[in-house]
Amino acid sequence: MSFTLEGVGFTHANGHRALAGVDLRVAAGERVALIGASGAGKTTLLRVLAASLRPGSGRVELLGSAPWDAAPRDLRRLRARIGVVHQAPPIPPRQRVVTAVLAGRLGQWPLWKSLASLVLPVDPEGARRELARLDLAERLYDRCDCLSGGQLQRVALARVLYQQPDLLLADEPVSAMDPALSELTVALLNDEARRRGVTLVASLHAVDLALRHFPRVVGVKDGAILFDLPAGQVSEALLRELYAAEGGLPLAGSPLPSPSPEAGPAAGTLPPLRCA
Amino acid sequence: MSRRAGVSGGAVLAVGLLLAAVAGSFAWLDMPLAALFTATAVEEAGGFVARFFPPDLSAGFLAKVAWAGLETLAISLLSTLLAALGGAVLALPAAGRHGLAGRHAARFVLNLLRSVPELVWATLMVLAAGLGPFAGTLALALHTTGVLGRLFAEALENSPPTPAEALAGGGAPALVTFLYGTLPLVAPQWLAYALYRWEMNIRMAAILGFVGAGGLGALLYYSLSLFQEAQASTVIIAMLAMAVAVDGASAWLRRRAGA
Repeated sequence: MSFTLEGVGFTHANGHRALAGVDLRVAAGERVALIGASGAGKTTLLRVLAASLRPGSGRVELLGSAPWDAAPRDLRRLRARIGVVHQAPPIPPRQRVVTAVLAGRLGQWPLWKSLASLVLPVDPEGARRELARLDLAERLYDRCDCLSGGQLQRVALARVLYQQPDLLLADEPVSAMDPALSELTVALLNDEARRRGVTLVASLHAVDLALRHFPRVVGVKDGAILFDLPAGQVSEALLRELYAAEGGLPLAGSPLPSPSPEAGPAAGTLPPLRCA
Repeated sequence: MSRRAGVSGGAVLAVGLLLAAVAGSFAWLDMPLAALFTATAVEEAGGFVARFFPPDLSAGFLAKVAWAGLETLAISLLSTLLAALGGAVLALPAAGRHGLAGRHAARFVLNLLRSVPELVWATLMVLAAGLGPFAGTLALALHTTGVLGRLFAEALENSPPTPAEALAGGGAPALVTFLYGTLPLVAPQWLAYALYRWEMNIRMAAILGFVGAGGLGALLYYSLSLFQEAQASTVIIAMLAMAVAVDGASAWLRRRAGA
């Protein structure tokens, strides 16, 4: 079992109830998409799964340990095994790409190694390898503020790949990307999870991406789980109920859009990322 | 409250109060402004200024000035460096990174250090550590720690927390989180503040000698006490040259750092 949530609830300090009575069991190696309207509680759920938010009620078990009963040291060890792809790339603009990618293993490295790497990157080849999968290897020593928004997203992705986590979480990883890059990113996350046999949980705003790439889809509505089904069994009626408040299904668009100047290079020059 | 065009009554009142305060200050301080412009006063002032020229450029005295100048430079550099370190250490709790109690305690210490002027610190340090450059360095370092700590803390509070949070979420220890996630965000600003304070400290280090804390100031005080205006003039020129040089060096460094 990769993780177990039992009756998990969380209420914000302002009284807003973000999660209520969430039960979710996911086995190791499963790939799960979280879908639902904005404000449904997907991000809160992912933060609970990342062991960065302590739920107000219920039981949490992640990768075989109970994070909130553990000593601080063990909690840090657990977090080092969980990789999170954030909605906005959390990278200081003045940092070099190589440092930003190597930062993925700061939770695993001993202190001296992290400090030494600030002076001279200790594993530039490892960083280059992950960047090469994202077609960014030649930007290894550039500063992150020289990159475009899409490139920065890919650097953040390379960092999580370099971390090699046992539980891979992604919070709206493609919300700021064009359709072609979204498709590639989601495919890459799925490839990585399959290749290493690790669990992947991604929240996605675009329903079609979720249904196309993930075997299991969980619909979140008003802080609770509305349905938890194999992708093939998610019906039109369920989706309509899920997005009732938004008045329509959010879609990412076709996987291979007509070649436009912006989307062209990303789609054309990333051979290792072909969709499954 | 309704808003309307034009100057508010409060603004008129404020300007009126300010003018009254200026007039009151003149009356209270009994400043004989007119006496400044009488013929004898102008003549006396001219004579006073003339005694400063030409400056004493004898080799022996120049060597003395150069030595004192080096001492002043060393005082300013060392004190600014110590203050930057102390400021960084105090800025972290002052920015609220270690809880509310830590924030209040750190802010109190910074306020205390900052609100005592350099000259008062120097007088205290001369009493505590004896005459000489060590007292001057400590005095400048203490006051500057208060200033830099406050500025560093504000830079920290205004920097986005997400990079550090992401690293902490990945299990990185606190020190590493700071070095990888926070320092790159605030480093240019911290450097600019430290260099700016270095410019101010070189001028301050030149003055601290007046209370016995070494450097060019001690030499100036000595010359003036003995009415050796020509030598005082050399020292003043040296102070000016050093201030200009440090301003230039600091501006160059800041440009290089892209701050």
